[in-house]
Amino acid sequence: MADYANPKVLVTTDWVQEHLNDPKIRLVEVDVDTKAFDAGHIPGAVGFNWQTQLQDQLRRDIITKDNFEKLIGSAGIKRDDTVVLYGDNNNWFAAYAFWLFKIYTHEDVRLMNGGRAKWLAEEQRPLTVEATKVTPVEYKVDQVNTDLRAQVGEVLEGIRSGVKLIDVRSPDEFSGKVIAPPGMNETAQRGGHIPSAASVPWATAVNQDGTFKSADELREIYFKKAGVQPDKPVIAYCRIGERSSHSWFVLKYLLGVEQVKNYDGSWTEYGNLVGVPIER
Amino acid sequence: MDHTRRVYNDVFEMLPGPENPSPLVRINAMSVPGATLYAKLEWMNPFGSVKDRAAWAMIRELERDGRLTQERGIVEPTSGNTGLSLAAMASARGYRSRMVVPNKVPLEKKVLLKIAGADLDVINDNLCPSPGMGDGSIGLAKTHARAQPDKYAMPNQYENEANARAHMETTGPELWRQSDGKISHLFVSLGTCGTATGCARFFRERNPDVKVVAVQPSEGHDVPGLRNKSELHVSALFDESLLDEVMEIEHELAYTRALDLSRREGLLAGPSSGLIYEGARRYAERDPGAVPFGVMIFCDNIFKYVSNMIKHMPELAEGTTA
Ligand SMILES: Cc1ncc(COP(=O)(O)O)c(C=O)c1O
Repeated sequence: MADYANPKVLVTTDWVQEHLNDPKIRLVEVDVDTKAFDAGHIPGAVGFNWQTQLQDQLRRDIITKDNFEKLIGSAGIKRDDTVVLYGDNNNWFAAYAFWLFKIYTHEDVRLMNGGRAKWLAEEQRPLTVEATKVTPVEYKVDQVNTDLRAQVGEVLEGIRSGVKLIDVRSPDEFSGKVIAPPGMNETAQRGGHIPSAASVPWATAVNQDGTFKSADELREIYFKKAGVQPDKPVIAYCRIGERSSHSWFVLKYLLGVEQVKNYDGSWTEYGNLVGVPIER
Repeated sequence: MDHTRRVYNDVFEMLPGPENPSPLVRINAMSVPGATLYAKLEWMNPFGSVKDRAAWAMIRELERDGRLTQERGIVEPTSGNTGLSLAAMASARGYRSRMVVPNKVPLEKKVLLKIAGADLDVINDNLCPSPGMGDGSIGLAKTHARAQPDKYAMPNQYENEANARAHMETTGPELWRQSDGKISHLFVSLGTCGTATGCARFFRERNPDVKVVAVQPSEGHDVPGLRNKSELHVSALFDESLLDEVMEIEHELAYTRALDLSRREGLLAGPSSGLIYEGARRYAERDPGAVPFGVMIFCDNIFKYVSNMIKHMPELAEGTTA
């Protein structure tokens, strides 16, 4: 069985437990439901709130470089630390945070395979409510990698030039039957999908226990069935950019697709635009 | 304790059991020709639902094991009824309690939990269902219990054998006695599956001819406490081999039949009872004469579902203000 392209970026729950006392390994939890972290987290972890800490609080945008530096520095994370991300909902926002760390070119970032659900399912794994003591540090970003992010102009251009678009939302969102999954606040004016996009729901990449499928299975899904070509540009999108971060991670790090971008504006931007083409 | 005079030293003495069964009431206006159906009114239990039985059994077991103290209380994921029983029992015995409920649980139940003294965590369990296990209300309750073992014990009705055993020791024997051993069919719903599994185990032993029929709502339902079969994997107590049949009923009928039961039988039954009634009715109509003594477990009453009823039947809200 062929391996993941970058096996190092994925760590197991066993690995995390073995490294709980390693000062160079920094755990960061990012959840959809931010109650989870307060109720109990892996000892030593810090929690980021995706709404208030990972987004710009004025414009609709990711946090600025300055604010990222402040956030990471205040969590006591050094530029050469190994950051291990995990969270609920199959690591949706953990993957989103992973993408942010990579935009701000943090070298060693990893994802805990299976997320908090797997940790919780394994009886012997510790959880605590104790706040992790951190010593703030100066954290400096020397470079920003904008190649990981697609903005709307590039998406519209991509429709014309035949860039592979991957819609990772549920089949009902793809078809326009619903605009957002039930209970979600962020929606759009119109339902449907970006013309030419292939529907590959994010969940097709994971096993029952929340871990990623094998490299062979993933190749079958993305290369054979969805027609992704590993040496061609790809853009993944969803509704607000978190589920597509998850698929972006799979494509880039597990399958080694070099030119894959996450369109974080996603349907809540595209489905609100005036005059753009939509398919159902 | 004197059940004939109904004078009690505390509320716990009122809990149901073979000596103090919840009532069986025959269905009349909504009866099915050739069949006799009875409703077992679980809302007559002191904390208002069938879940008094499981809650009491789980609390007593935790007490016996010394796991409940002034410092260590209870955390539990619940669609409301188990939580309400647990919270009220815990409060009366001096334990703290914390209940984790999905947001789609009706407001009445959330407020009732607080009235009974529980701390409340409401979480959005409505996200696209993730294939992984462990997020959602069960995951959050487990997180509390593991992160603060000195503060919380988790009965975990979904996996706790005491839940099924409660029905083996109370509901089953009550039905046997109340029907003089004549019960032919039992109609139940499936949530934790404690009722179904516990009663079925009792009847398998006592009289394997008693048919146990489970009634479940179609997918996309909003009946708190019930699970569609596709969701049953979290219920460790689910044992299909104990059931003679599993019927699926269009979920909207839960609320319509609940209304019918109120208006035509004077039984102020909740939606899971409405659903069970519809299952039992269809079962009995399918084969006239085949149900000489059917019993339906009517889990709770309609009082906690006013807001859901209005959602399904907006006309109920008409004319309610001056
Ligand atoms: C109203 C209602 N009906 C039915 C059930 C299902 O009973 P059980 O959990 O024993 O399967 C429940 C359980 O929570 C309930 O609250």
